[in-house]
Amino acid sequence: MIETINLYFEHVLEYLPRMLESLGETGIMLFFAILAAILLGIPVGTLLFLTSSGNPMEHHLLNRLVNTLVNIIRSFPFLLLVVAMQPFIRQIYGRATGDPIAASFPMIVIAIALYARFVEQSLNDIPKAIIETAQSMGATTWQLVWKFLYVEARSSLVIGFTTAVISFVSYSTIMGVVGGGGIGDFAIRYGYQRYETDIMYTAIVLIILLVGLFQWLGLKVAKILDKR
Amino acid sequence: MIEFDSVTKIFQEKDRVFTALSDISLSISKGEAFGIAGKSGAGKSTLLRMINALEEPTSGTVTIEDTTLNNVNKIHLRSLKKRTGMVFQQFNLLYNKTVAENVHLPLELHNHPTHLTVEEALHFVGLKDKKDQYPSQLSGGQKQRVGIARALITRPDILLCDEPTSALDQNTTEEIVQVLKKAHKAFDMTIVVVTHDLLVIKALCQRAAVLENGELETIIDVSQSNKQTADRPYYERAIEVLGSD
Ligand SMILES: Nc1ncnc2c1ncn2[C@@H]1O[C@H](COP(=O)(O)OP(=O)(O)O)[C@@H](O)[C@H]1O
Ligand SMILES: [Mg+2]
Repeated sequence: MIETINLYFEHVLEYLPRMLESLGETGIMLFFAILAAILLGIPVGTLLFLTSSGNPMEHHLLNRLVNTLVNIIRSFPFLLLVVAMQPFIRQIYGRATGDPIAASFPMIVIAIALYARFVEQSLNDIPKAIIETAQSMGATTWQLVWKFLYVEARSSLVIGFTTAVISFVSYSTIMGVVGGGGIGDFAIRYGYQRYETDIMYTAIVLIILLVGLFQWLGLKVAKILDKR
Repeated sequence: MIEFDSVTKIFQEKDRVFTALSDISLSISKGEAFGIAGKSGAGKSTLLRMINALEEPTSGTVTIEDTTLNNVNKIHLRSLKKRTGMVFQQFNLLYNKTVAENVHLPLELHNHPTHLTVEEALHFVGLKDKKDQYPSQLSGGQKQRVGIARALITRPDILLCDEPTSALDQNTTEEIVQVLKKAHKAFDMTIVVVTHDLLVIKALCQRAAVLENGELETIIDVSQSNKQTADRPYYERAIEVLGSD
């Protein structure tokens, strides 16, 4: 028994440097996805909300357009999105395969579309009376968004963000197909293709722990922010 | 002065056209406490919301201090809303902000040359000790006091109240009426109160319009009882309310 355990640790230790490197690659992909979700997903989601009917910036055409775009991206099977984006990535980044930054482009696209939807939903859940109150005070749309909507939606924005990040982890695991690396790719290459089953399970447990950590952290922050 | 001239409001929905207000003309003087009474659906809120341009007349005009609202630009509307405070039936507080932050909010939206401090506003409504609490920790009456403090902090010229006591019980209603009455005296502003509760109008207003099905039935001079309602024994009030016809 002890011998088996020792053997296992020796084995893991042998693969550890490569495993850590893979985690680093996952980190890079998540970093770009998270950055895009915050910097672009939130504005796009807010735009979806504000331009929908009955809301302060009501605009049917714009709403329909953005809505359709988000739907297309979200319903695109992710693997096909990755492949379909190759020529485009090559054009702007110089190469489309072989590093986690190139692999981040599809992650960015899905991150924006996914989180925008969550943001829109969070804002939809705010009572309409809050918007009316802002308008009765003569708030500008900018003030409405920052001083009313984001304040009241903040904990559900965090919960949506947590769910989105967990999906990003899942999406990142297939980026091996374009040489993006990452911990998912590691599990496939060493565990599945080279029959190092123990290494594969170690990597999978690591991914599950990572997701669990995000989940725990997200709920905790949301709870602190929620005063309702 | 607030003036409605032949104001009609028609709501168009997919399959129905609904006349919420028809041909309303009335004027409210500066400094007056004016009531708008009527059953639910009579058009009271719609009428009130025209005073701060949350609702636009389908025809007719609303004029505030020589400014006719129909043809003013956005910036002007903003400055009009800046001079108007509003109190809501469901309080409409931000539940993720503290009492003090809620009361301070209007000051973050506009530059107000003369305004109360958060402490003054909270002191006025008797909630100074609650300033760091969150609305969820307050009773209904306390929440409405926060709503009133938030409306008063800008020292508005016009205070609009839409069913300010309708979510509250009888005793709390009287407390809130007293706060509004005190505010009317202290801050020299026009108050317009919409409510289905005639006693609230009786206690607070000098004149009142009665609406029914979107039509102005009459405008009454409210005969004020000199006796302070809140100070009198319950049975006396019961006799007055239940015994008169
Ligand atoms: N935005 C709207 N769209 C359609 N109908 C409306 C709208 N706002 C109010 N109404 C209708 O107008 C009537 C008067 O409403 P309201 O002014 O809120 O009445 P009150 O405040 O006296 O209860 C109601 O029948 C209501 O259904
Ligand atoms: Mg109403």
